[in-house]
Amino acid sequence: MKQTVDTFQAIGDPNRRLMLRLLSKDSLTINKLAENFDMTRPAVSKHIKILYRAGFITIEDIGRERHCILNQNGFKELRQWIDYFDNFWQTKLKKLEYLLNEKSKKNAN
Amino acid sequence: MQTEIRHTWFLDHSPATVWEHLTNSELLSQWLMANDFRPVAGHHFMFRAGPVPKMDFDGNIYCQVLEIQPLKKLSYSWKFGPEPGKIVLDSLVTWTLTARGQGTELSLVHSGLQEPEHAIAIQGMREGWDKNVGTRMVQLMINPKIHETNS
Repeated sequence: MKQTVDTFQAIGDPNRRLMLRLLSKDSLTINKLAENFDMTRPAVSKHIKILYRAGFITIEDIGRERHCILNQNGFKELRQWIDYFDNFWQTKLKKLEYLLNEKSKKNAN
Repeated sequence: MQTEIRHTWFLDHSPATVWEHLTNSELLSQWLMANDFRPVAGHHFMFRAGPVPKMDFDGNIYCQVLEIQPLKKLSYSWKFGPEPGKIVLDSLVTWTLTARGQGTELSLVHSGLQEPEHAIAIQGMREGWDKNVGTRMVQLMINPKIHETNS
């Protein structure tokens, strides 16, 4: 239920967006990723955790290193509004049409 | 990336009747949602629906009439968020009516279904993000020294 909130929090931060852009090029180890940022290692880990929790990345242990890999699930979440409102408007318009038709039937009688 | 919804419906009723159902608060509430709409440009109003927490939607839609051309066009902003005072979606709803014989062609465009900043972020990652240009841009943004070394 908190998924969407996490999604938007996750990409609301410029550092995290930059992390995603870097990972869109290639998967990176946490150390490699951290090299691109002027922040402490725990701070980097915190950002990674947020991206992971929101479904934007997966973390895999390969050998001794932890790799961050871009995950499509986080991005799918962002598109829900389109699906939701598409369905919403279709339903509402059917209701409007029904309402209008009922009224003209009454007027005809 | 899709950020808008477009639909066109044909209604077997006059533009005047359809217009009334789009702009009369009581009629509007019969098919859309409870509201305090008034057909006046600049008027702020709300639609009220059931909350959808997973959509970050607390049930209140904050709107303002932006354009109103009687019997032809109506547009209003459409904003909501997970709690009062917090807006996550800032979108636009536009209705256009065209007389077709005895009836009306009603078009709806619901645009901006994405926060602008998010749309940019996603676009950067999903589409059109030319790998070379994109990567280089990122490198330049985060480490201008690369530029110096390369040139």
